[in-house]
Amino acid sequence: MKLTDAMGPENVKLDMEATDKREAIEELVELMAESCERCDADEVLEAVLARERDGSTGLEKGVAIPHAKCDAVDRLRIVVGVSRGGVDFDSQDGKPSHLFFLMIAPMSESGPHVQAIAKIVKMIKIDRFRERLIKAKRPEEVIEAIDRVENGEE
Amino acid sequence: MSNPLGNILLYIDGSESSITAAQLAVTMAKTYGSVLRVMYVVNENLLSELLKAKVFVQMEKMDYERDLEEDGKRYLNYVVKLGDRKGVTVETVLRKGVVHEEVAREAEEWNADLLVQGELGEVLSLRDSFYEEGERILRKVKCPVMVVRGREKIERLFDET
Repeated sequence: MKLTDAMGPENVKLDMEATDKREAIEELVELMAESCERCDADEVLEAVLARERDGSTGLEKGVAIPHAKCDAVDRLRIVVGVSRGGVDFDSQDGKPSHLFFLMIAPMSESGPHVQAIAKIVKMIKIDRFRERLIKAKRPEEVIEAIDRVENGEE
Repeated sequence: MSNPLGNILLYIDGSESSITAAQLAVTMAKTYGSVLRVMYVVNENLLSELLKAKVFVQMEKMDYERDLEEDGKRYLNYVVKLGDRKGVTVETVLRKGVVHEEVAREAEEWNADLLVQGELGEVLSLRDSFYEEGERILRKVKCPVMVVRGREKIERLFDET
């Protein structure tokens, strides 16, 4: 499954306003709920916060991949957020996070969920990919960048 | 002369194309009187990588591993039922590990005459780390491999068999 099958420009938020971890998660969950009528935002939020209590999903190089499994979504849902100023997300290297990939899957879709997370983890290792996302001026540019890497063009 | 398609090994990952591959494998097993063995591999390697990258915590990894194992059992049972519909006995194998290595080992140890798998993903990156499992299997196994495409035609063939 391609990541861009699970997301479009409506699932991308540039210029996130959050100033701390909790706000960042809430902003991402809100974005997810906006494009998913059947998603229960409160339940998604609780699932993500519970996962974060087990250990932060703030990685290195300014990237965080908050994720959870919960049946408040109908299928694998992905949203991307970009924070120009950065947010303290308890990252591994202690640096602020600028790129956020919120990934939520129903309990019964573990396979595609794991594959999608793994794909993002590989993508964010590419310096130019991260730069393109952080510098994107339109949500479409983020989707294009993901598509390019998935198609081996980056 | 022995049956050149005596042992057919089918690899499934639960994707739509692997289900199409299953339909063709059952059809072929019935047509050629082959022994059909279907296998699913819990991608333990991938889960370990995500744990190492600290995307997963230990408990979470174990949780996903259980989920994937259950998924695998469900997919294998599905193929057994496909076989039942056509009077073909299907053997099942569930493994954990590095997917392409497990598939290659099974093919070799069982003396598979043919490995059948679903369509390769659309990702055709030159970056080695982006090779999908189907492609890795193709590179690793030593027996002939059939990559199955054409869902509609195969569904028709399966229904007519």
